[in-house]
Amino acid sequence: MNDSTANPFMPHLMRIAESRDETLDVRTLRLEFIDPEAASEMEWQAGQFGQFSIFGTGECVFTITNPPNRGDHIECTFRDVGKATNALRSRSVGQTVGFRGPYGNWFDMEGWQGKDILFVGGGIGMAALHAPLQFVLDHRDDYGEILVLNGARTVADIVYGDEMNEWQEMDRVKVVQTVDPGGETSEWTREVGLIPNVFEQLDPKPNGNIVVTCGPPIMIHFMMITLDKLGFPPEQVITTLENKMKCGIGHCGRCNVGRLLVCRDGPVVTAAQLKDLPAEL
Amino acid sequence: MNGDGWLLTKDERQEWLDALLRDGKRLIAPVDDEGLTLFRAVSTAAEASLEDYGNARWSPKEHQFPNTEALFSYSFQGDDVLLEDTPPDDQEQVLFGVRPCDAAGLTRLDDIFLGDQTDPFYARRKEATTTISMACDKSRPECFCTAVGGSPGGTEGSDIQLVPLPGEEVSLLRTMTPKGDELVAGHSDSWKPAGPEDLAKSEDLRVAVEQQIEHAPLAPEWSAALEGTFDHPLWEAVGERCLGCGICAYVCPSCSCFDVTDQGNAYCGTRCRSWDSCTFAQFTLHASGHNPRPDQPARYRQRVMHKFAYFPLEHDDRSMCVGCGRCVALCPVGIDIHQSVRTAVSAGASGEGSS
Repeated sequence: MNDSTANPFMPHLMRIAESRDETLDVRTLRLEFIDPEAASEMEWQAGQFGQFSIFGTGECVFTITNPPNRGDHIECTFRDVGKATNALRSRSVGQTVGFRGPYGNWFDMEGWQGKDILFVGGGIGMAALHAPLQFVLDHRDDYGEILVLNGARTVADIVYGDEMNEWQEMDRVKVVQTVDPGGETSEWTREVGLIPNVFEQLDPKPNGNIVVTCGPPIMIHFMMITLDKLGFPPEQVITTLENKMKCGIGHCGRCNVGRLLVCRDGPVVTAAQLKDLPAEL
Repeated sequence: MNGDGWLLTKDERQEWLDALLRDGKRLIAPVDDEGLTLFRAVSTAAEASLEDYGNARWSPKEHQFPNTEALFSYSFQGDDVLLEDTPPDDQEQVLFGVRPCDAAGLTRLDDIFLGDQTDPFYARRKEATTTISMACDKSRPECFCTAVGGSPGGTEGSDIQLVPLPGEEVSLLRTMTPKGDELVAGHSDSWKPAGPEDLAKSEDLRVAVEQQIEHAPLAPEWSAALEGTFDHPLWEAVGERCLGCGICAYVCPSCSCFDVTDQGNAYCGTRCRSWDSCTFAQFTLHASGHNPRPDQPARYRQRVMHKFAYFPLEHDDRSMCVGCGRCVALCPVGIDIHQSVRTAVSAGASGEGSS
């Protein structure tokens, strides 16, 4: 991992193999390694992230959305929100971008075996849940009941909508979808309400089960309050952090939250860890 | 690492440095650049401006960690992209006339760039660099090295140290590392060996200059207490004056934060890293508009916390500030980081408003 002469900033060249628009401004890409050797050497764990390069514009950090069992390629889901993501969205299938990684820690997929797992994702936060969720669904017998609670601002903002319909059909998987009040359409038959409220109505029981939640800071804030109220011990609640990053290897000095470096000590943290961090999220 | 070192006249010193230049080494020394003392590559040792130079305006950091450096280059050919490593700069270089605070400051960069993950750009340059420090013969008003564990005669980060002996025309030269030994090998035979009395004189000088520094010590054990003041309202008052100009980070010998950007045109370009500052508003600004450090007090608090709490708590209580005092002398609104630490720790200890 730490070859002291290799250039840690040199990305792998990746061909955009597939591009799928999740919403008007959210896109999922399948990137294939141009160098077959790089593809065969690539190893990662669900929860790790990478630096994605758009040459001429710069880099941006995304979680790797496919689990390691699915692949000699890399997938990512991103929202067109800034300079680099805008440039990435302007690239088409067949064009070349860059990837370096994987970086950061990962979800304890082994430790979760035998437990029920509740995935709670808001908006683009679903991207961080995609790899562990897919991993669990691909190793269905190793895990208990699965709940996927997804929230979006409006019906038009639902990420992975088609996949959620497929997951719903799977054995011992329950998918609950909600949109913020005012975000529903006349055809919408699923939930309307904020994620923490919908979660509470589902009346989930702690019982040693795992909650994995990711979404905008305000959603995480209220989810943590709700989980506390429902009696989920903070050690059983997992979330992922994100911050602006430039290097991914603990050097550039900007992703820290107190002494925790998101690139080195995160992005995966428990609610117990979160409580000990300074309020700088 | 000879016993007592040697005594060198100015002429002998210049002959030696000129010989190093002839060997193909790059010699970087303080020079007078339109009224500012700066560390620059020189073509003869005589260009070095060592008379009463106090300290250089900028630290020698840029010669170890350049303010902008290419990480690789890219070019486009249709839908293909070609990537090329930039040729490494590994010319042997001698940093001469570095003050002990700056030499110590550069070792903090080692902690960042040669830690769990090695930065090969930094590692190569470090390998090619030999540092010759020059002990201070007087302090400046902003100096506070002794408050953070350093000394005007400190040797941390030095391969060789020169001490100008007061009232004499010679300097005491001692080597501290094998790299230092290598640099004097073949030259020192003609030098006059120093004796214990010369070492005693240099010690007297060190003690005398230390006594000129009046800043009260910042105890290493304060790091945890300082970290505990994160939520204290005092930070609002301490940091609100900060303009976010970033001069403190740019003149600092140990600040290591950097940005990574692409510089180029539609056909080709270079991915570069450049110095950055935690006091800049965009430093942590997310693309979404969210900023975990939304105001200047939060950014200045990060600066103080990183240097005096986060870094020392993970690096054997070594502060990431070496007390060169440049940021204090050059801050346009008079912020004094030494004072900020004292203010925070004492407010935390009094317990008012802390959480």
